[in-house]
Amino acid sequence: MNRGASLVLLLLLVAVGVTAVSPRPRESYAQGTQIYVDIYGAGKKKINIAIPDFTVVAGADTTGLAKSLAQVSGADLKFTGVFAVVAGEGAIPANNPEALKKSWTDFAAAGAHAGLHGLLAIRGERLEAEMRLYDLTSTEQKLIGSKTFSMAVSQPRRLAHKIADEVMLQFTGEAGVADTKLAFSSGRTGAKEIAVADYDGFNPATVTKNGSINLTPVWSPDARSLAYTSYKAGYPDLYRLFPFEKRPEQTLAAFSGINSSPAWSPDGQTLALTLSKDGNPEIYVLTLATGTLRRLTRHAAIDTDPAWSPTGRQIAFVSNRAGAPHVFVMDAEGANVRQITSGPAQTQPRWSPKGDAIAYTSREGNFDIWLIGSDGSNPRRLTAGPGDNEAPTWSPNGRHLAFQASRLGGWQIFTMLADGSEQAPITRGTGERTSPSWSPRLP
Amino acid sequence: MLTRGSQVMVVSLLTLAAVFAGCAKRPATSTAAQVPAPTAAALSVPANPSPTTTPPATTATPTPGGGTETTQSPPSAPGAAVQTPDQRPPIKDFVSIPELRDIFFDFDKYDIRPEDAKTLDANSGWMKSNPNHLILIEGHCDERGTNEYNLALGERRAKATMNYLVSQGVQASRITIISYGEERPVCMEHNEACWAKNRRSHFLVKPR
Repeated sequence: MNRGASLVLLLLLVAVGVTAVSPRPRESYAQGTQIYVDIYGAGKKKINIAIPDFTVVAGADTTGLAKSLAQVSGADLKFTGVFAVVAGEGAIPANNPEALKKSWTDFAAAGAHAGLHGLLAIRGERLEAEMRLYDLTSTEQKLIGSKTFSMAVSQPRRLAHKIADEVMLQFTGEAGVADTKLAFSSGRTGAKEIAVADYDGFNPATVTKNGSINLTPVWSPDARSLAYTSYKAGYPDLYRLFPFEKRPEQTLAAFSGINSSPAWSPDGQTLALTLSKDGNPEIYVLTLATGTLRRLTRHAAIDTDPAWSPTGRQIAFVSNRAGAPHVFVMDAEGANVRQITSGPAQTQPRWSPKGDAIAYTSREGNFDIWLIGSDGSNPRRLTAGPGDNEAPTWSPNGRHLAFQASRLGGWQIFTMLADGSEQAPITRGTGERTSPSWSPRLP
Repeated sequence: MLTRGSQVMVVSLLTLAAVFAGCAKRPATSTAAQVPAPTAAALSVPANPSPTTTPPATTATPTPGGGTETTQSPPSAPGAAVQTPDQRPPIKDFVSIPELRDIFFDFDKYDIRPEDAKTLDANSGWMKSNPNHLILIEGHCDERGTNEYNLALGERRAKATMNYLVSQGVQASRITIISYGEERPVCMEHNEACWAKNRRSHFLVKPR
């Protein structure tokens, strides 16, 4: 207990040092909500949140959900970079305001700024959970938010993810991204399938089973389908599959040459892609409803790897028209082409959800993830080895990036905060995993 | 309400900071039954996801209520997608033959080097004297470089190879090209000797 207490005190002092710094509201994307959490500078300004085991208010908790839900929500909140979790032993008794007050008082004394109390009802095939969020910095322990969720009993982790996302919403004005998926290519040389996992790597599932080479899955904006390139018919063609539905796959493009690099427009109506049917890799826009193709680039060099700006008005892409591959930006009609990166080689531009920055892969010796203002300003490195780091993809709130890293041996999927901190693998094991695509929030 | 709640928190946190900054030696007081383990011990969720794969149909139906979807159907009814009349010969019918030798490329390049032009001259000789064979040219890259770009680079290598052969009198209509990007290396080590072998155009044939 003494050791616990001193550690807690240390934590508290860190928090104090932090909050003494004048809180800085975030600039461009605080939409009407006062936000005092800086998304960058992880480890500096964390909110200590207490998450005791959930309180079971109905049904029998035969599988330890009260504890595991609290743990999963806690992991989600820790992942955000915004929270530090103060875990507790045991649950707060139901309908006991005295016990609740005492628990929160103890947590507050141990450094918690906020308390998350989950109340769980297990009703047959459904889990119902109410989350209540308390401000532990006020003596009255004010209730600052509550929300009820219902989920199939088969998806307890998802219930915990939704609770964590709500906590993020309450504190930052924007929901978290725990209830999202990552798609990626998975397998070994010559045999790669498309896989989908929860954002934290749990519940991986293979969604193609053709034994061929399947590459670069990209989520549609409604999070219901994936566009990807497959050699299953022999040639590199572009398909669309629906991982959560019993719905037949569609062929999007099967022209002579390559059919690759799908990029959904923000409205989901069109897809930018690379085709070489006219003799040379060029970028086109395919209108899904009509099958109409519009060609955007006309250059003897390679043009590929398009990425839409979140407004849909601009497209970043890769071209070697200046010798080596660099990132260029054009408007969505193909005009006003300008180069925004320089140096040995830059590829895989991915526009941030807020529109202010573009992540990309740069080769300077090894490959690393970089970030640059969408106007070409302030390029900065996010990864610095070990090994190679490629294929960035943004979380829907722009706080995180997933990417592929070779530091464990073969390629695995990692995530990091958007400032490059807290890099950690979310996949492991035999085989390699590449080309992650972070889904929008699930419907 | 959200806004107000947050503002309250700001104020409270500042107060908290001020209080504790002034008395940093304040001991952490009681630790009762439910009390907090230190943060470091907070969580033990395994970082290593279960290797078990579950069928996608049963894993994750993204609609929480199951059937409460209100999103309209995506616009792509069957038939909306682009289908091209497939005039490409089936890949699996093509075979490698010793008479046709690979050519190789410099890193991130697709121009034909002089020594490789000689190989292509010999290859074109065989092709012209065996006019009843169709030809498949595979373009390949080494593992360096990113997937999307390497697919395009492999395409350019195959195309440059094809153009050279056509300039030597091989009928363009006999030739099909395919890029494998970095997906089909012949050498698996991570060094330049291996990479040089992987940056190649490879030839396969089949009788018409």
